[in-house]
Amino acid sequence: MSIITEEDWYLPSQKYEYLDHTADVQLHAWGDSLKEAFEQCANAMFGYITSIEYVEMKDIFNIEAEGHDLDSLLFHFLDEFLFNFSAEPFFIPRKVEILEFDRENFKIKARGFGETFQIGKHPQGADVKAITYSNMQIHENKDKCEVFVIIDI
Amino acid sequence: MVVRSYNEELQYLEKVNSYCWKIKKGFQPNMRVEGIFYVNDYLEKLMLEELRNSCRPGAVGGFLPGVKQIANVAALPGIVGHSVGLPDIHSGYGFAIGNMAAFDVNDPQSVVSPGGVGFDINCGVRLLRTNLFKKDVLPIKEQLAQGLFDHIPVGVGSKGIIPMTARDLEEALEMGMDWSLREGYIWAEDKEHCEEYGRMLNADPTKVSLRAKKRGLPQLGTLGAGNHYAEIQVVEEIYDKWAASKMGIEEKNQICIMIHSGSRGFGHQVATDALVEMEKAMKRDKIETNDRQLACARIKSEEGQNYLKAMAAAANFAWVNRSSMTFLCRQAFAKQFRMTPDDLDMHVIYDVSHNIAKIEEHMVGNKQKTLLVHRKGSTRAFPPHHPLIPVDYQLTGQPVLIGGTMGTCSYVLTGTEQGMKETFGSTCHGAGRVLSRAKSRRNLDYTEVLKNLEDTGISIRVASPKLVMEEAPESYKNVTDVVNTCHAAGISKKTFKLVPIAVIKG
Amino acid sequence: MFKRKLQALQYVASDSFNINDEKQVRSLILWLENQKIRYYKIQDRENLRKHDSPEWTSHYIKYLQDVECPFINGKLVEQLEWLLGYAVKLEYSDNVEKYKSITSQNIQKDKVVPKVVSSSTLDSLNFESDDFKNGVKSLAQILNITPHPNHFITLQAISKVICERLNPEALENPSFIIPEGKPFPFLETDAGFVSNDQVLTKAGKILKLLFIQDLRSLQTQINECIVSVQKVTANPKTDTKLGKVGF
Repeated sequence: MSIITEEDWYLPSQKYEYLDHTADVQLHAWGDSLKEAFEQCANAMFGYITSIEYVEMKDIFNIEAEGHDLDSLLFHFLDEFLFNFSAEPFFIPRKVEILEFDRENFKIKARGFGETFQIGKHPQGADVKAITYSNMQIHENKDKCEVFVIIDI
Repeated sequence: MVVRSYNEELQYLEKVNSYCWKIKKGFQPNMRVEGIFYVNDYLEKLMLEELRNSCRPGAVGGFLPGVKQIANVAALPGIVGHSVGLPDIHSGYGFAIGNMAAFDVNDPQSVVSPGGVGFDINCGVRLLRTNLFKKDVLPIKEQLAQGLFDHIPVGVGSKGIIPMTARDLEEALEMGMDWSLREGYIWAEDKEHCEEYGRMLNADPTKVSLRAKKRGLPQLGTLGAGNHYAEIQVVEEIYDKWAASKMGIEEKNQICIMIHSGSRGFGHQVATDALVEMEKAMKRDKIETNDRQLACARIKSEEGQNYLKAMAAAANFAWVNRSSMTFLCRQAFAKQFRMTPDDLDMHVIYDVSHNIAKIEEHMVGNKQKTLLVHRKGSTRAFPPHHPLIPVDYQLTGQPVLIGGTMGTCSYVLTGTEQGMKETFGSTCHGAGRVLSRAKSRRNLDYTEVLKNLEDTGISIRVASPKLVMEEAPESYKNVTDVVNTCHAAGISKKTFKLVPIAVIKG
Repeated sequence: MFKRKLQALQYVASDSFNINDEKQVRSLILWLENQKIRYYKIQDRENLRKHDSPEWTSHYIKYLQDVECPFINGKLVEQLEWLLGYAVKLEYSDNVEKYKSITSQNIQKDKVVPKVVSSSTLDSLNFESDDFKNGVKSLAQILNITPHPNHFITLQAISKVICERLNPEALENPSFIIPEGKPFPFLETDAGFVSNDQVLTKAGKILKLLFIQDLRSLQTQINECIVSVQKVTANPKTDTKLGKVGF
């Protein structure tokens, strides 16, 4: 794990919301670039799992994700973070940062700043069962990029 | 896709009787069989309202209404009989939750679909009885609720307290409740009173990804979050005293414990992995579906077989999970009452799964056929004399456990011959959502929800209080409506009703 | 260990033989060679006779090679098992005539042999006499048993009732035997099949009930079996350090 530097302490403003869906939750995240929208989407997911402001940025955790199109890239990007939360090392990030966003080969390298989830310290929210392709939408415009993902609760 | 007005859509729906509707072919493209769904007046309104909303001009994105999903399932290759919607149906991933569909195993076109099982494989309900009565429990209700909370790990991020190694997990996946028995966590009679005797024999842990095992290992023996709960309940009403007495319920006010949980992260990962695999298989085998979410594979294909074996392992995980919590519940009660679980007569009445696909024999027309029955948010309800139900219930029919919403009420039903014919021995599973989670959060205040529960005399322990409004009774269809519809339609029969006095949940 | 084979070979210490006792093992091997196998000439058995010699083991291995034991590299248990089997085989082939007639059927026959002249009055009874038949009938009436046209079957039913319900234990503790709870109104329920013949339906229901009873006792036996295995395998544990409960 690398060392957290001064500028890593910067916290981006919240650019996501939770939309109506009968049994599950639809994440709606946006940003100036697709990279930012993806990052925000991961933040949105963890915001539903716990109250994110209780998470301290103690460690950095790196992930790599790969897909065969943008949808599957987003899916695997989120799934990778979800998996590392659900199993060893039970990592919950306060914020997620994409380091490399390869749109040709649909690969992402990203890191999360956070710590190991700890009951008692971190309020328990919803249990995210899975990321779904259900009604997944990725909109890319010059001024604003948006993504919609339904997570199964 | 054809865009039709609400009134045009209604042309395809026909009310068969006061509790049953038919969805005619053409409602969605390529329907191979008709759909049916069961509703009473009140549920009918909700159902049609949902359809009407989706017909509004400019309604894009949103989600498919339950009726449309039933019809899309009716278009899957190899389906036989009807695509059935139960009264608690609501929109879900691919299949609606509360949807049952059967596929002919011997038809080479037939498919298996992970969406027809759901992410929480073998999510189900187990009911334990006791020889205690309300008067014994009321004075120490709070201590009991706390006792359960102190024994059962709940909520997101919780870890099991029964020591498990990777090897134990492999064995548990293969053996299901036989593992719990061998290790001494449960009683021999528990296995007897469980669907499939607590073990799917076709489970193959080698067909399960390492990822799923890694997610599953720490979570074995945990309740989970969402709609999962453990409740201490009181028998409030007995409708069929003979069937009830066969289940060891003799009088009103007897105390029971209900555990509602599933296969946790393990099952979720198995489902996720299978969906990814099947996307590929669908392209290869050129399987066309109306909805991309209905990812599926031919039953006989490698992907199909791998999924069935992995799903069976996940089902075994869920049974071991509920068994571990049974053990913890018995310990909690034994400590509180300073009596052994044996002396408290804490027997398992039954254990049902409501998210599973199983190979079963059914009559189609006048022929006996081997079917792969998908039940998603639907409970198996076999009639009296069926060879696959425990000997104790041969005369009454299989007990069907219907868990209500946190703090409302639950029911025990039995299977009927009519249900066997109309719905391949399936009935409802619970209440079914009406309000979306986000809407519940906006419209309901959690302190109020908690206060309401306390005012009705229910002790509650909850890991994430801020999310209780998502599971508040207001967010769900009334379980009584759902159960009464199944009873009136004849697809299952009411036996007794339970109300909670203590709830623990994630 | 090896008790049956040792007995068959008429080894004196067949009851107390202990494979972990080196001395006993060595003397058994010598005995086998001396009395049964007799592979070496008498004078050549000297090496095996020296129990305390440090070279004994190498002589033993040589011996195994000579008799062509396939378990030279195996465990002692396997070697002994084989040697004993070999000795039994030799013993048999030496006396084929003597042992030929001893088959399991003949042994069974021999067992039935004791023919004691009965002094019991039961043996002198005429079971077909009207007297006997009437006796059975009236006994059935007293015990509230419906008589069967064949009085032997009625007698069987009577015997069953007396053995199960009227034995001293049952009389002392009736709740032990007589099932508790209210009887299930079985005749009013659905039979699970359709027939217009009422008598047939009733008979079918009764058969079904008997079948269920059989199933129940089978299931109970299965459960008992599981419980006895559990006594060996079960070791349930919890460790609250692994996860967090309650807060």
